[in-house]
Amino acid sequence: MVLESDNDWMNAAHSTGTSIMAAEFKGGVVIGADSRTTTGAYIANRVTDKLTKVTEHIYCCRSGSAADTQAISDIVSYHLGFHGMELGEEPLVEVGANVFKELCYNYRDSLMAGILVAGWDKKKGGQVYSIPIGGMCVRQSVSIGGSGSSYVYGYVDANYKQDMTQEECVKFVTNTLALAMSRDGSSGGVVRLGIISEKGIERKVILGTELPKFYQE
Amino acid sequence: MSSVLCPEIPSPGFSFENCHRNAMLEAKGLAMPKAQKTGTTIVGIIYKDGVILGADTRATEDTTVADKNCEKIHYLAPNMYCCGAGTAADTEMTTQMVASQLELHRLYTNRVARVATAKQILKQYLFRYQGYIGAALVLGGVDSTGPHLYSIHPHGSTDKLPYCTMGSGSLAAIAVFESRWKENMDEAEGIQLVRDAIAAGIFNDLGSGSNVDVCIIRKGSVDYKRTYDEANKKGEKQNSYKYAKGTTAVLTTKVVDIEEVAVRSIDLERMDTA
Amino acid sequence: MSSIGTGYDLSASQFSPDGRVFQVEYAMKAVENSGTVIGLKGSDGIILAAEKLILSKLHEPSTNQRIFNIDKHIGMAFSGLIADARQIVQIARREAAEYRQQYGSSIPLKYLNDRVSMYMHAYTLYSAIRPYGCSVILASYENGEPVMYTIDPSGISYGNHGCATGKAKQSAKTEIEKLKLGQIPCKELAKEAAKIIYLVHDELKDKNFELELSWVCKDSNGYHERVPEVVFQEAEKAAKQAMEADSESDTEDM
Repeated sequence: MVLESDNDWMNAAHSTGTSIMAAEFKGGVVIGADSRTTTGAYIANRVTDKLTKVTEHIYCCRSGSAADTQAISDIVSYHLGFHGMELGEEPLVEVGANVFKELCYNYRDSLMAGILVAGWDKKKGGQVYSIPIGGMCVRQSVSIGGSGSSYVYGYVDANYKQDMTQEECVKFVTNTLALAMSRDGSSGGVVRLGIISEKGIERKVILGTELPKFYQE
Repeated sequence: MSSVLCPEIPSPGFSFENCHRNAMLEAKGLAMPKAQKTGTTIVGIIYKDGVILGADTRATEDTTVADKNCEKIHYLAPNMYCCGAGTAADTEMTTQMVASQLELHRLYTNRVARVATAKQILKQYLFRYQGYIGAALVLGGVDSTGPHLYSIHPHGSTDKLPYCTMGSGSLAAIAVFESRWKENMDEAEGIQLVRDAIAAGIFNDLGSGSNVDVCIIRKGSVDYKRTYDEANKKGEKQNSYKYAKGTTAVLTTKVVDIEEVAVRSIDLERMDTA
Repeated sequence: MSSIGTGYDLSASQFSPDGRVFQVEYAMKAVENSGTVIGLKGSDGIILAAEKLILSKLHEPSTNQRIFNIDKHIGMAFSGLIADARQIVQIARREAAEYRQQYGSSIPLKYLNDRVSMYMHAYTLYSAIRPYGCSVILASYENGEPVMYTIDPSGISYGNHGCATGKAKQSAKTEIEKLKLGQIPCKELAKEAAKIIYLVHDELKDKNFELELSWVCKDSNGYHERVPEVVFQEAEKAAKQAMEADSESDTEDM
């Protein structure tokens, strides 16, 4: 007989065992993520959107505990909204990343969050900031995160180029995520993409059946 | 320091001061008291004209069925209901508190409260208590922006979905949805699907059982069908198995008067008011 | 003054019947008693110049400065009561540091100006406190753009191409208006600034003064700092020459 307390759906933290990614290209950034949310071994959501809006031109890719990362992005979104009002212009991406960092660092003992902040601003164009568990903040031209990322560091290092075109960059991000999802059990579903440039964001979805294939058919 | 003149005011909210001690005692083998939990199947779908929520009606306490016909679809606002799984007390009190907040919000703004508002209140409340409030919810409703369905987990994460299930019977129920849910279903089709999903939970999950409750929320109207279906109807008895009067023979009869009772009235005694 | 004896000038929290707050006006008078300070916008930055009056020969030069650093990229010059101004400097520095701490980048001057002017304005609202007896000029060079603001004791602030406060603000403004602001490179502008300070200095009333010159511009990599010794000497020399030429032409006129 199964007792309620033995079930892990109540107690296990909901986490986005994830593959996420962000890469700069000429004129903006491409962000991407898989769509799987797991509770233990159960897929609690197979169509999750891990690309979360913070301001018009700043988005974040969430990995780690779903509750923690959702709460953090809500708070940052509030702060940057207020800051944007006070400033009379859109906050810079580095400012956004710094607010994320401040929360992730100050509450590092009680949070499980690995976040990529990406966006576009007038000062520095497309930017990617990586904020891993612990609350460090570094700018990188390309960054990957989540459990699936460990399988594709080599691919990213070998294939990323500075100043790619948008099409090249979208292809690169799609391939990387497809490779990560195929090797990582807790990543999967569809690939969600976002292209952030001066114009704002353009969203794309690549269905599980349309993912690029490599040597295997 | 507490004293008669200056009493110590206990801080509001939960106290976690015994958590460490309890964990230690439990590790040493002391059995902890079990909270009543609604080992549950709850579901929700979006259909053509709104949202349909469904729930079973079994509440368990350890392996005992504590309540055979409890209500798991809670009222939040005239346009919103919320199914609760997890610790029964937590789902009940959480939804009641949010219902009151939403009513005040409705009066204050003079508008129909939005489902996203309820979602935000719930997730922030649950996140604040870091999963210690064991409420797993399926929130559904219709507002000015259309029908919405959210699943909310005890740690405060939310998912916005066209169909979702929760509770110990969620696996059985999601299987029904994954194979049969379509966009723009009509109401009859939707109710049937929700019933079948709950029935799957009732039959395949030990924590779920008894009846199916269904709640249909459309724009401007709600149909709360308590006991929409009895999944396990008791069979009719073929015969009356009562013994006929006089089946047991009377051998002797003896009547005893226990006490003589006499009634005597007492005059009222006037109070001296002079 | 019409306000004296009416009782309406005793507190900053009370209007006079014709809608004025005399305490604030008195604070402006305090500003007008101090040495002149000017700020000029050039093509590639901003020059701040101050006429620091020397009240005693016993004072050491370079003490009681009138121009301060607020952040790496922001300078502040003031006229008015020095003790009051130092408190404003402290507030502005804290505001800039907190911004850096919270947002990880340098504070935009527009934002700092909002904060400091709100702070100064708060001191014009309550009976228990008096307004600040100083006007400040804020200057920065951010993203290749020179920005400058002035804040009055009333808490009102203006964005400026050129500005002057203190004793001789009127004549200084007249001189500033003759310049092509926003078009002259800072190296040249330093001379103009020095000339103006020398020109408006009243030798009869105030004997000695010391010229203070700072800039925040392309040449200083966007940092606010005292102008280099060479530039300072050149500017002072140019100013003195201009004064001499001026006095010669004056005598000719006679």
